[in-house]
Amino acid sequence: MTLVFSAKTSGSDDLKAIISAISTLVEEATFVANAEGITFRGMDPSHVALIDISWPNSAFEKYECDNDIKFGVRVDEFSKLIKRAEKQDSIEIGISEDNMLLVTIGKNKKYKMRLIESSASDTPLPKIPYDAKIGLTSSAFDKILGDVQVVSDYLTIKATTSKAEFSGKGDSGEVLIDLEKGMEQLTDISVKQESTGTYSLEYLNPVVKAVGTTAGSVTCEYSSAKPLRIEFKVANIGRIHFYLAPRVES
Amino acid sequence: MKFSILAETFEKMENTAKRLELTDHLVDLFKSTPPDLLAKVVYLIQGKLRPDFEGVEIGVAEKLVIRAVHRSTAIEVKRIEEAYRKDGDLGHAVSKLIEQKTQTTLFDAVAGDNQTVEWVYDSLVKIAELEGSGKNVLDKKMNYVSSLLNNVSPISAKFIIKILIGTMRLGVADNTILDGLAIAYTDSKSNREKIEAAYNVSSDLGKVAQVAAKEGLKGIEEFKVKVFSPIRPMLADRVKSEQEAIEKMGKRFAAEYKLDGERVQIHLENGRVDLFSRRLENIRSYYPDIVENIPKALKVKNAILEAEAVAINENSGEFLPFQELMHRRRKYNVDKAVLQYPITVNLFDVLYLDGKSCLDLGYEQRRKLLNDIVVEDNFTKVIPQILVTNESEIEDFLENSINAGCEGLMLKVLNAPYRAGARGSNWLKLKREYRNDLGDSLDLVVIGAFFGRGRRTGKYGTLLLATYNDDDDTFPSICKVGTGFTDENLDQFYQILSSKVTLKKNPRIKSDMEADVWFEPELVIEIVASEITLSPIHKTAQDAIRKGSGLALRFPKFTGKIRMEKSPENASTDQEVISLYKGQTKITQNTD
Repeated sequence: MTLVFSAKTSGSDDLKAIISAISTLVEEATFVANAEGITFRGMDPSHVALIDISWPNSAFEKYECDNDIKFGVRVDEFSKLIKRAEKQDSIEIGISEDNMLLVTIGKNKKYKMRLIESSASDTPLPKIPYDAKIGLTSSAFDKILGDVQVVSDYLTIKATTSKAEFSGKGDSGEVLIDLEKGMEQLTDISVKQESTGTYSLEYLNPVVKAVGTTAGSVTCEYSSAKPLRIEFKVANIGRIHFYLAPRVES
Repeated sequence: MKFSILAETFEKMENTAKRLELTDHLVDLFKSTPPDLLAKVVYLIQGKLRPDFEGVEIGVAEKLVIRAVHRSTAIEVKRIEEAYRKDGDLGHAVSKLIEQKTQTTLFDAVAGDNQTVEWVYDSLVKIAELEGSGKNVLDKKMNYVSSLLNNVSPISAKFIIKILIGTMRLGVADNTILDGLAIAYTDSKSNREKIEAAYNVSSDLGKVAQVAAKEGLKGIEEFKVKVFSPIRPMLADRVKSEQEAIEKMGKRFAAEYKLDGERVQIHLENGRVDLFSRRLENIRSYYPDIVENIPKALKVKNAILEAEAVAINENSGEFLPFQELMHRRRKYNVDKAVLQYPITVNLFDVLYLDGKSCLDLGYEQRRKLLNDIVVEDNFTKVIPQILVTNESEIEDFLENSINAGCEGLMLKVLNAPYRAGARGSNWLKLKREYRNDLGDSLDLVVIGAFFGRGRRTGKYGTLLLATYNDDDDTFPSICKVGTGFTDENLDQFYQILSSKVTLKKNPRIKSDMEADVWFEPELVIEIVASEITLSPIHKTAQDAIRKGSGLALRFPKFTGKIRMEKSPENASTDQEVISLYKGQTKITQNTD
């Protein structure tokens, strides 16, 4: 039986952003492809953070997949390869008959890459109700993280019906950033119940940097002392969800 | 089996100082362990993944563990380091800190402390298999360590960390494990000897344990000598005079030069060579010249041989002292060391030949086989040997050996089989220095230390030393020593010993002293002293000479020799000290 799998993007930015985001959490990634598209789900070894990605077939310039397949890659190797693409280059991935990953960049660059045995066990998603939802432009969120990191290694988010407060505290001092409803950076705020959660910048910063400007906006959802879910809105991609377990007072 | 069950047993074992209680805990643990898992459990008890001779090291740096703990708990690195400094044991420090963790995980409720022994062991193996120190490798190690510490209970965290950084010190000797196996799987401690015999020819406690559990005594009795699995070496007693040797050995026996080198067990099969030290570490990488030359000097394809590797002066062919050989013990530039510190290999025994064990053959037969298969060349020799019948013959041969740069003689009973792993009087060693009763050197085990003052502040100014009592497998104290150290020695001791510090006194240590720190009894150093005296404090030869008294060294002094090649069980025994003590009394009486 010959495997038919081929997925072609129109540019390279989205794939670069996705691989870069995944690389902040895991060394080896297993992707699942089926007729509907490609998905990835992976958790970091400390089980503090999780990325859940779903990339529908409609997002690709060309997409074919007859059977469900799984393929594993070493993220750093895959990432190096993808970085060889210029912004406007298309990237096409497929699986060869000798079970290698075929990556065609632009018209004439063809890579074959060793696949690894996929060790993926099914990672569940945290099931939690979210009391607060904050929408931000991605540049505003990136700035806030930078501002807080100057004094703190964590970010505390407090959401009320009228505003969102971002704060942090460390040995050298503390910081508080207010965003009132109606401000340009704050695209949405809906709060069922006033909520406060604290999250590690060591996990947050790299992933926000990785997806960066590829995402136009982000949505943060959380409840007090419960995991945070960040949705990155990337035009072509169905879903990039980043889950992060909270820090709590001991 | 959950790892937490194992960790809880470890905790109990760590909290007892009594060997019998240790044995009881082991028996309980063995009985509740599935047989297929037993080998792994036995290795883990000893803080290992595989038997020593396979050279598998986990090798995770403390720094990396601290970073992983930080990642999964969000406790600041500074705080972890501070707690570690105060506590002295990273595992223990983290187990106390971990309850204050602020970082939660995504699936707290599901995961819990659910890790199995298999999973922990497999993760450790994966860490050990990672080679190199590049960022990629460290990142991977970090990932495995993080997963190991993810959601574990404080007690599990403590022992996982101890195993990771190599400070798992439960005070469980091989002998205690053998006792435990005999009781758990054969219902009688009296079968211990059979189990020990299996251990002696395989040097693999995990394998022995697993076979005992699955096949019982029948399986144990089927253990055979195999090439590439080292045999625990036969050891010699000490005598102090030719006369004493004759009293112990009878009319006619063999004498061989005792070379001041490293004892090497050579395994050969179809051109492939492996080398093991007396402590059964794999030392193949230090001696590429042996690997290359030995097959050329043998008429057989399959054999296990014993030899002394000795450093020589290339021009004169003279033997050089043991210290020269230690330059070979390095990881890099071995080729250069091979040229710089040339050696010869001096064979003295054959334990296996052409598919058959030689252990049960008498010494004389083995020696004959050896002579038959070796073609001597510039590199490979057979140790000089003669048969002796009286004191003057021994004396002459001893003189010759000393003149040739040897330490003394090995004396061997002609019809005695090779008793693997055992010390006995079928082999005796006679060193010239022992003939003068005072000023003898002893190889003693460092068991504790007292912090120094003045220039020695922050270092171990005085060491507490012990002999080895092979009757009950303990280390009774014999003296404190604070002289003979150079500043370099002090630094070196601190470096070596600070990683051997234990929270409580190892149960095998017998001492009433209140040392500032206790060590895992591992390091052996050479000591000279002016006299052996009765002591109400020290425990060596307790009650042997006088009820309520032990023996102690008077004016002990470090000779500058750290005996890296000796395991603590190879240190001077209390029996040796007793005979030295008796010898010196005779002399005092004679001169009076």
